[in-house]
Amino acid sequence: VNEELKGHLDSLILAVLAAEPAHGYAVLQELKARSDGAFDLPEGTIYPALHRLEHAGLLASGWSSAGGRRRRVYRLTRRGRTKLESRRREWLAFSKAVDAVLA
Amino acid sequence: VTYVDELSRELARRGVHGRSRRRILAEVEDHLRSDAASERQFGAPSDLANEFAAELGTHASRRAAVAAFAALAIAGAVYAAVFVTLSPQSIQSSTLVTAVVVIAPQVAFVAGVLALARARRRSLATAELTVLHRRTGTALAFGAATMGALAAAAGSTTAYVAAAAATTLLAAAAAPLLASVRIRPQVAGSAGDVFDDLGIERLRTDPWRFARLVALGVGAAVALAGVVQGDPLDGLARGILEGAACLAGFAALGRYLGLRR
Repeated sequence: VNEELKGHLDSLILAVLAAEPAHGYAVLQELKARSDGAFDLPEGTIYPALHRLEHAGLLASGWSSAGGRRRRVYRLTRRGRTKLESRRREWLAFSKAVDAVLA
Repeated sequence: VTYVDELSRELARRGVHGRSRRRILAEVEDHLRSDAASERQFGAPSDLANEFAAELGTHASRRAAVAAFAALAIAGAVYAAVFVTLSPQSIQSSTLVTAVVVIAPQVAFVAGVLALARARRRSLATAELTVLHRRTGTALAFGAATMGALAAAAGSTTAYVAAAAATTLLAAAAAPLLASVRIRPQVAGSAGDVFDDLGIERLRTDPWRFARLVALGVGAAVALAGVVQGDPLDGLARGILEGAACLAGFAALGRYLGLRR
């Protein structure tokens, strides 16, 4: 599952952050929770992906302090939201076509 | 030695320093505090450092290519403005200076465009990054040479000041390039060529055919300009020279700039 997931990782991260800003650890936990444990990604994949999405202008980030801990919190930019919408449309069209063939 | 210490060392080995390194370490440290057992899930520090270096190196190299092209565009405007405002009598140049004034901006433009073409690609192997750095560096170096020759040829204070300002800008655009060269990820893959960059796989089997086509196109455009200016013979001579210069450039810089493998 994780190998197949890599091609969709960017979209999934954008989708998780569309709900609310979060730090890397929370993004991983949310991915795992939303997929009922199917998407249990190695930690080493998430942070480079977050940095890449930020460099692409799809995410923005900043430090926040809570309970004496500094955390890098990521949020979706307007461009990121637009990208997510277009990826959603692409995925729906693709999955509909695959469903039609497989069924 | 903790995981974070090892990661710090591996990042430094790959040229990731300063704010970027501090940020990565702080994020990983915070993650490990949330879940100490996840250390194994991060993978080997060297692999993680390499992933970050690949991402940062690609991003920095892209920025460097864009900055170089922006500086070249301004230098190009200076070049055009100096030529438009100069009277033919005021031009004092040797054959060498004239050759540099004519050839260097073309090399700078082509290298700059090729750098941008490669910078558009999403992820780049180490060898591809090297070619991108070469293209950006060549564009800046030839741009600076153009400005130097232009100042020497123009022989006027205004032209000299304008060329000096443009050269300063080109030198400033070299800073992001130097920063990107310092990041050294290890990502397997070939250096690629211009056919990968432009998506014209068809011509890869015969790169010289591609070179001949480009030379023919450039030569024809220059010859046509001569016809429009009312001097077709001069246009034809210039067109032949331009075409020959294209082929010579392809032979001399083709491999270095990743035009051919």
